[in-house]
Amino acid sequence: MDRITPLTVPLGQAEVFQALQRLHMTIFSQSVSPCGKFLAAGNNYGQIAIFSLSAALSSEAKEESKKPVVTFQAHDGPVYSMVSTDRHLLSAGDGEVKAWLWAEILKKGCKEMWRRQPPYRTSLEVPEINALLLVPKENSLILAGGDCQLHTMDLETGAFTRALRGHTDYIHCLALRERSPEVLSGGEDGAVRLWDLRTAKEAQTIEVYKHEECSRPHNGRWIGCLATDSDWMVCGGGPALTLWHLRSSTPTTIFPMRAPQKHVTFYQDLILSAGQGHCINHWQLSGELKAQVPGSSPGLLSLSLNQQPAAPECKVLTAAGNSCRVDVFTNLGYRAFSLSF
Amino acid sequence: MSSESSKKRKPKVIRSDGAPAEGKRNRSDMEQEGKYYSEEAEVDLRDPGRDYELYKYTCQELQRLMAEIQDLKSRGGKDVAIEIEERRIQSCVHFMTLKKLNRLAHIRLKKGRDQTHEAKQKVDAYHLQLQNLLYEVMHLQKEITKCLEFKSKHEEIDLVSLEEFYKEAPADISKAEVTMGDPHQQTLARLDWELEQRKRLAEKYRDSLSNKEKILKEIEVKKEYLSSLQPRLNSIMQASLPVQEYLFMPFDQAHKQYETARHLPPPLYVLFVQATAYGQACAHMKSSQPPRQDKTLSVAIEGSVDEAKALFKPPDDSQDDESDSDAEEEQTTKRRRPTLGVQLDDKRKEMLKRHPLSVMVDLKCKDDSVLHLTFYYLMNLNILTVKAKVTTATELITPISAGDLLSPDSVLSCLYPGDHGKKTPNPANQYQFDKVGILTLRDYVLDLGHPYLWVQKLGGLHFPKEQPQHTVIADHSLSASHMETTMKLLKTRVQSRLALHKQFASLEHGIVPVTSDCQYLFPAKVVSRLVKWVTIAHEDYVELHFTKDIVEAGLAGDTNLYYMALIERGTAKLQAAVVLNPGYSSIPPVFQLCLNWKGEKTNSNDDNIRAMESEVNVCYKELCGPRPSHQLLTNQLQRLCVLLDVYLETESHDDTVEGPKEFPQEKMCLRLFR
Repeated sequence: MDRITPLTVPLGQAEVFQALQRLHMTIFSQSVSPCGKFLAAGNNYGQIAIFSLSAALSSEAKEESKKPVVTFQAHDGPVYSMVSTDRHLLSAGDGEVKAWLWAEILKKGCKEMWRRQPPYRTSLEVPEINALLLVPKENSLILAGGDCQLHTMDLETGAFTRALRGHTDYIHCLALRERSPEVLSGGEDGAVRLWDLRTAKEAQTIEVYKHEECSRPHNGRWIGCLATDSDWMVCGGGPALTLWHLRSSTPTTIFPMRAPQKHVTFYQDLILSAGQGHCINHWQLSGELKAQVPGSSPGLLSLSLNQQPAAPECKVLTAAGNSCRVDVFTNLGYRAFSLSF
Repeated sequence: MSSESSKKRKPKVIRSDGAPAEGKRNRSDMEQEGKYYSEEAEVDLRDPGRDYELYKYTCQELQRLMAEIQDLKSRGGKDVAIEIEERRIQSCVHFMTLKKLNRLAHIRLKKGRDQTHEAKQKVDAYHLQLQNLLYEVMHLQKEITKCLEFKSKHEEIDLVSLEEFYKEAPADISKAEVTMGDPHQQTLARLDWELEQRKRLAEKYRDSLSNKEKILKEIEVKKEYLSSLQPRLNSIMQASLPVQEYLFMPFDQAHKQYETARHLPPPLYVLFVQATAYGQACAHMKSSQPPRQDKTLSVAIEGSVDEAKALFKPPDDSQDDESDSDAEEEQTTKRRRPTLGVQLDDKRKEMLKRHPLSVMVDLKCKDDSVLHLTFYYLMNLNILTVKAKVTTATELITPISAGDLLSPDSVLSCLYPGDHGKKTPNPANQYQFDKVGILTLRDYVLDLGHPYLWVQKLGGLHFPKEQPQHTVIADHSLSASHMETTMKLLKTRVQSRLALHKQFASLEHGIVPVTSDCQYLFPAKVVSRLVKWVTIAHEDYVELHFTKDIVEAGLAGDTNLYYMALIERGTAKLQAAVVLNPGYSSIPPVFQLCLNWKGEKTNSNDDNIRAMESEVNVCYKELCGPRPSHQLLTNQLQRLCVLLDVYLETESHDDTVEGPKEFPQEKMCLRLFR
């Protein structure tokens, strides 16, 4: 049988370890820089890598352009979530949120601007932070994670203003409803809760697993992903990917996807979702599968759309997950290339 | 004379003619002179011109008379006779005159001749004198020139320069006042001085010669003394042998070894020296007792010294033989094909020939197992090879899967990363191989030993990657720096292999041997069981569908060992394919999992499997256990069992749940379902 044997380079201990690390790397989060030219990706070893999208997308892109411009150890634990303000990159994972200045981040030996830890009930073990959400109107940051609470932090003062309790198990994801303003959170307990930020109270609760159409008990009840578009919300995870009408709290469309979805987002008139399985699924609002675009990782955990107005040439969709690679889609229909750690 | 001649003439005159003399004036002369008559004197008196006239007159008269006689005779008559008689008398007189004149002419002639003769003689004498003088002149001139050209020997002598001469010569020789003006004297003086100096030097020379003789004699004496000392020393050494043995200081033995070592080829020599030095250094460092040979490292030389010496026989004979045999072989190959293979075989054997001496190094490890290393030097290829053997204190029962662990072929493979010892490290060998049709050294490795790179470095042979090396530069510094690391690596290697050996024995029986000091890594109760542990071949590993990532990452080469483990709990079967790198405990084994439980789950379709793999592969450092981490493999297997337990128990709707277990929280990925 004709099989191309890969080059077996004499591997010392360090090289073997590096190879094993890369094989077992998972990229949990991505974030685009405010100028739109750089992409930050955080992995399960606590490292953050900054890729130059403009270099990788330019016509003279070489192999090195697909490697990170700089990689640094940001956290001790995995970096589960990252967001960007117009000057800072905020990353969170092991119970702390750290801020990095985008202007400085490309220099070696970059230090975080500040780090904050929300007040936890127990000091024995530090719960992880799974999701970060920026609320631009209040200039605050919402953190949610293993301690089942949503903490709000004021970005100017750094003080933690609110702690919203209600979930009985840890929180996977957050979404912001612009108009109200309301925050949606989905968690391991299978419920999507809506919080009113002004009153700091729970406004609405949707227990997805209790709805027969979408629940899939063999997968569990956890809500892995949330996205909202004012009146509509799409959520998925253990239960099937479903589009809900928020005011009536009814599921309107169920997307026939077997594998649990880990990330979902609205894009123009499509819903893009990704999860177990290597494809990004393009759904129409009616529930039909428009396209399935294969990526390079066996499972995807995060999607990022670079819609920064400052860099229209870098308008790409990037997807990352259970591998050390970040797939770049210049046209949503096919994978252009992959950046790799 | 004149008187005799005159006496003779007288009778002549009287006899011949008694006739009266007419016109003879000489009679008057005769009367005048007395008794003797000298016609010579007459000749001087008479005028030759007049005599000539007289002669002519006389001849005429004769002629006239003759004519008259003739006439008378012809007329005839009586009175004619008287007239004829008269005329006859007159003609007789005339005849006498003629005779006289003739005599006078003769005398004149004679005189003239005599005079000429005399003059000629004189002239000759003068001429001779002149010649003599001329000769003499020439001779003298030659002599003069010779004298002038004469180079006296003294000019060939290098005399000291004038200034030096005046400086050095004592006053009585140099005589400055005299010699300054007179160059001849000066030269003489200088010659004197030269002679003086030479005499002195000759003296000195004689003295030194005699000194030298003396010293030579002394040397002879001392040599005698020394040569008589040598046998005595030998006998002392012999006598001291038993004492050496008693004190465990085998100097003699070491000395013998060094003797043999001299015949080693340079790389083996370097290896020998460094190994002995290292062994002694270790002994010094370890023990505070009187220094003794370190028992953990012993070096010996094996082989035949005579053969080694024979290698250095004059090459001419062997070259001639070779060319002859080559010629023969060429001829035979033209005739018979089969010998080509034989000839090639011989050439191969020649190329791969080993030096008859080899160095044996024995490394003892703490548990009394010994690693025997025998180092050989391949002369034509200029590389070192090693054969290894492990012997243990107790007899080992080899489990089936551990067959390759301690085999001499692979026990030293990849001691340093990538050093698999199947290819010759000397790039020049490739050209040599092409000549005799050897493809790679791999085929001969079992017989000749493995040419690992660290062996070359221990022997001080350094092969740069690009250019072929033509000279044997055996470098001690290279060897020394590698000796320590290599010895340590060798020891670790042997120990880890032996540990694995033992572990495999128990793994095959389904028991994961976890030592007591690693027990803290695992929870007290582990339900999943190891059911099977077998070796699989490299090709089989590559064929498995869940190992593709590892193969693509280049971690699964043909120098690794592959195993398959099966862990079961209830209906769940977890297959683990293990890649064991020869550099075992520093390079961790890599696991790839495939779970058969409610469908087939591998890392491509189930995150949990992925998490389990990364738990065991990436986080291996905490599973290492106490140094020297020989427990890594067993700990990893135990960890797998634990993970399987956790996984199965945290699955919802799982039949085999037994009860809550503690979760190693930090390890599991968030996105795992709990």
